[in-house]
Amino acid sequence: MKLRLLVQLGWRNLWRHKRRNGILLGGITFAIAAVVLANSFIRGMQVQMADNAVDLMNGHVKILAPGYLDDPSIAQSFEVAHDWRPDALEGITSDMVAGWASRVRVPAVIMSERETRGIQLVGIDPASENISFVGKLAIQGEGLADAADRRVIVGAGLAERIETQVGRRIVLITQGADGRNREAGYRVAGIYRSDTSSLEKIFVFTGRDTVQDLLETNVVTELSVRLTEERFSPPLLQRLANVFAGLDVMTWQQLDPTAAAMTAIIDVVILVYFFIMMGALSFGLVNSLVTAVMERTREMGMMRAIGMRPRSVLLQVVLESTLIMGAGIAGGVVIGVLAYLPIADGVDLAAFNEALSTFGLSNVLVPQLFAQDVILVVVLSLILGFVASASPAVRCMKMGPLEAMRR
Amino acid sequence: MSEEVVQCQGVTRVYADDAVPVHALRGVDFAVHKGDWVSLAGPSGSGKSTLLHIIGGLDRPNDGSVSVDGEDLGGLSEAQLSDLRLRKIGFVFQAYNLIPVLTAVENVEFIMQLQGIGANERRERALEILDRLGLDDIGDRRPGELSGGQQQRVAVARAIVTDPVLLLADEPSANLDTATTKELLELLRNINENHGVTIVTATHDPMVMGYAKRPVNLRDGAIESDGSTMDATTDASPDA
Repeated sequence: MKLRLLVQLGWRNLWRHKRRNGILLGGITFAIAAVVLANSFIRGMQVQMADNAVDLMNGHVKILAPGYLDDPSIAQSFEVAHDWRPDALEGITSDMVAGWASRVRVPAVIMSERETRGIQLVGIDPASENISFVGKLAIQGEGLADAADRRVIVGAGLAERIETQVGRRIVLITQGADGRNREAGYRVAGIYRSDTSSLEKIFVFTGRDTVQDLLETNVVTELSVRLTEERFSPPLLQRLANVFAGLDVMTWQQLDPTAAAMTAIIDVVILVYFFIMMGALSFGLVNSLVTAVMERTREMGMMRAIGMRPRSVLLQVVLESTLIMGAGIAGGVVIGVLAYLPIADGVDLAAFNEALSTFGLSNVLVPQLFAQDVILVVVLSLILGFVASASPAVRCMKMGPLEAMRR
Repeated sequence: MSEEVVQCQGVTRVYADDAVPVHALRGVDFAVHKGDWVSLAGPSGSGKSTLLHIIGGLDRPNDGSVSVDGEDLGGLSEAQLSDLRLRKIGFVFQAYNLIPVLTAVENVEFIMQLQGIGANERRERALEILDRLGLDDIGDRRPGELSGGQQQRVAVARAIVTDPVLLLADEPSANLDTATTKELLELLRNINENHGVTIVTATHDPMVMGYAKRPVNLRDGAIESDGSTMDATTDASPDA
């Protein structure tokens, strides 16, 4: 049986009921476009959740002293050489590593002349913080100059609460490894704003050496490494575990299991969303095909009678379904991509800031359209088309020519 | 004795769909010779259409054997029967003869497409047969734009375009008026006499029976009378 003939017949049969098939085609196109566009948003959320978790000073891999997560104090710390670099490790090349940063992060109290608040004091080397959200902060005033900078940067939310501003002095109190409190006064160099408002109220930054001086130590509490691609994480993890034996070497997923679980769930959400949309649509497709087959039972019986093979009849019904699905998929993908392009740079969702913060998302959601997601939608839709056409096609094939012509 | 195109021996067909079995054919012995035009006639329920369908491989007997052009239909699968119909038998039905989405010439080409004949040869042969049957001016029209008579003639064109050994027509005049029926029968006579196509028709229509060379009457699933026992030279057509 010539496939070309079946395609020709299938194509013309689709035009036989322009209105009915037009509505069906419109439904498929709309559903595919909606799935493509919705996937880009969902995938954008997933990427942003993962990025934000990595950005949140975790890096892809982080080294901590054992017990630090339970008791995040300077007592749980370790030494790291100033000239240490991850791309010096065996099997880790410089193009695998985006950057690394060592920090001293301890709980502290910040006091202005009016208010006192509990905060996380983070001593950083600003030159290394291009790997975290700290390097991307919008700062009013000045940023830190280097690891020895003795000024501080506070979040806008915290500055408002303790009623301080750029140029004012604050006092930081924290506990040393010996259990004695250390305190010192610092000038506010800048006030930062973050997409995630909760961060502004928690983190106060100063130079890493400054915190070490305050605590009279030369240790750090964490060392983060950011990679150029997530897939390089396992080999790095293995190397670091060897080099930093006795310390905790953890991935961002281990450090932020909630974000990791949510990003993992999103893969399932994409499939569930697809099956809800296309599953509902498949009822329309099956209905349309069953109607088309029932209307043409006698005609198909006649074609069988004059010599068309049973499997060709089956193939014709499947082809008709595939043609309409194919047209709908092509149209849906084009419309979905066209709808994505204007928002590819991001959608401002500042109105939902509080809710987004809860999910570790920032105000601007950047949709991500991945070819693999589009291919998945195309392949699954075609499979759905095949499945939807199976019942009417088999029914048609099993019916003898005489029986069909008598209908 | 001329060559037998159809050979039926002890053909029995019982429909057991309802509580009471219906004997549509009761051990029919029957043969059709090359160049014959056999008209199966009889009242409703006599078994004429059943016999025609069994000869065409559209139905299977419960008992007995049928062969077409020397090929025993009993051992053939559905797909093999489809192939046999495609290669050896032309069909003209009472209705639903043509594919609505194809033009007249494409309908004629359809069967050649199924046979895998190339596009150029297909088109050439389709146009030639339409021209021969006086349908050359309607080749690009779809069935919905044709009269009932034109549709039947296109169906005949499709049925004979591949030179089948046998043409089966089931109530071909059922939906036609007298003048159109006569045109169709003249056409069948022409292809039977001038092109040697063997024809078997099943009909109620006396006009169709009159054109056939060999009327065969069935009653209650058995052959009541067979024109082959009559004078073969008698021309029973109404114009005679």
